[in-house]
Amino acid sequence: MGQSSSNWRRNDYHRQNPSFPYSSPPPGPNQSATSSSHLPPPPSLPPPAQPTPAPLPRSNYSTPYPMPSPPNPSTYYYHQSSPWTCRPPYPQHYGPGRSGGWWMPPPPPSPIHSPGMAGQPPALPPPPLPPPPFVEQTKKVKNDVNVHKDSIRLVPDEQNPDHHLVSFTFDAMVDGSVTIYYFAKEGANASISSIYVDIYTPKGITFLKGPGQTFIQPSGYGIDLGFFVLDELSKPLEGDIFPLVIYAKSCRPSPSKDVQGIQSSSPAHAQITQAVIEKSDDGNFKVKVVKQILWVEGERYELQEIFGLSPVEAEINGGDHDDLEKECVICLSEPRDTTVLPCRHMCMCGECAKALRLQSNKCPICRQPVEQLMEIKVNTADP
Amino acid sequence: MANSNLPRRIIKETQRLLSEPAPGISASPSEDNMRYFNVMILGPTQSPYEGGVFKLELFLPEEYPMAAPKVRFLTKIYHPNIDKLGRICLDILKDKWSPALQIRTVLLSIQALLSAPNPDDPLSENIAKHWKTNEAEAVETAKEWTRLYASGA
Repeated sequence: MGQSSSNWRRNDYHRQNPSFPYSSPPPGPNQSATSSSHLPPPPSLPPPAQPTPAPLPRSNYSTPYPMPSPPNPSTYYYHQSSPWTCRPPYPQHYGPGRSGGWWMPPPPPSPIHSPGMAGQPPALPPPPLPPPPFVEQTKKVKNDVNVHKDSIRLVPDEQNPDHHLVSFTFDAMVDGSVTIYYFAKEGANASISSIYVDIYTPKGITFLKGPGQTFIQPSGYGIDLGFFVLDELSKPLEGDIFPLVIYAKSCRPSPSKDVQGIQSSSPAHAQITQAVIEKSDDGNFKVKVVKQILWVEGERYELQEIFGLSPVEAEINGGDHDDLEKECVICLSEPRDTTVLPCRHMCMCGECAKALRLQSNKCPICRQPVEQLMEIKVNTADP
Repeated sequence: MANSNLPRRIIKETQRLLSEPAPGISASPSEDNMRYFNVMILGPTQSPYEGGVFKLELFLPEEYPMAAPKVRFLTKIYHPNIDKLGRICLDILKDKWSPALQIRTVLLSIQALLSAPNPDDPLSENIAKHWKTNEAEAVETAKEWTRLYASGA
């Protein structure tokens, strides 16, 4: 040991290690409920590191899960192997009292600090020691309804020229409803409010549960996008008002009263997809998802992608090196199961991640400071 | 010596280096110390080092991969980022090291450094100055040194 820690906090937001493939999960529309994590598009490097957790215009992260058969009424426990592995929004993670708050000197003593690091010469300004290797275990939450973010389209309403209808594919584990809002913002407890109430009245459209469904707004429910300035459509307005918001509400059966069905006044269970609308080169409107939010049991989660989570397609290393994409970048032996936060690079096994934390504070992939490690067991099936 | 408890990472890297060598690069471990590698890098085409065969030594310290490998040119080379002792000025060998880098990526970076000398971040002040004041002449000297010292003979 005796590793120098003088550089451990050096931030480098510019360089990216080119030699590691990343998966950027989901492909385009796919009729399968499992699509989003199994068929990644050509891998790409992560977007430039951002000092604050910003929404990435990319797919949600989801753990691959075996789900070949559609759920049936007798398998409500399905959610226990749900694909969604989420965490609450960031502010909750920065709160004091979490494992001692490791930005505060002196760092809490760790039983496994290396002896070499304990004996810093007193004359030097003491470099902050790496925090204890705190690894957060993921909590799985159920996402009842998932709108495939890459499948959202605006299609012309044949019976109402100039009007566009929103279409997408989605998976639903329970019955529910979809409401399309234009220029709307999210409020407390999964409420949505539209700022142009006069020109468009959002109407909820119900659906039945089932994976891989296609949603399309009924004719006449659409909107004339020509009414808006393209500039307004193509970016969120001040106050987090998004030009297009898809609100997918699930009507969860109460756990104790399955048979009696729907509970309407329970805590919010919904997925909110916030998007902007751009005009593509061919003149058609194109939907770009900015953020997806999940409300479960009244708690709000932001869905974010993890880089390196799912197997990467063969393109980078020629197909016969599957293990290269899944192995820990440090030991080259164990499977990756630990994600670095906030940069979300899934690149290490648990053991190496802990060892890394004792010596360095930088993500091996992007060199951003590590704030937390999160272990994600992708292959362990829940009972 | 310490070959008996060589980390799996080093064994894997060595196997892959031998079975799938990077183009223009060879690295093989020493028989008595599996952490010591004899390295050869071919001078990249369209660089002043083209046609040269450059020998280097690479050593994996005990802390590897948490610490960078130690790499040094054994063949004399005229390059602004390499000094007369063969030491290399390359960020990934110092503060930009990451355990996600490997022997292969380090050697590829060194190969790339031969293609793109960077006199603005010099290790050899004189060579760097030469490079900045009269690049054509410096390149000629580099070619000359390649012929003299790296001909592979």
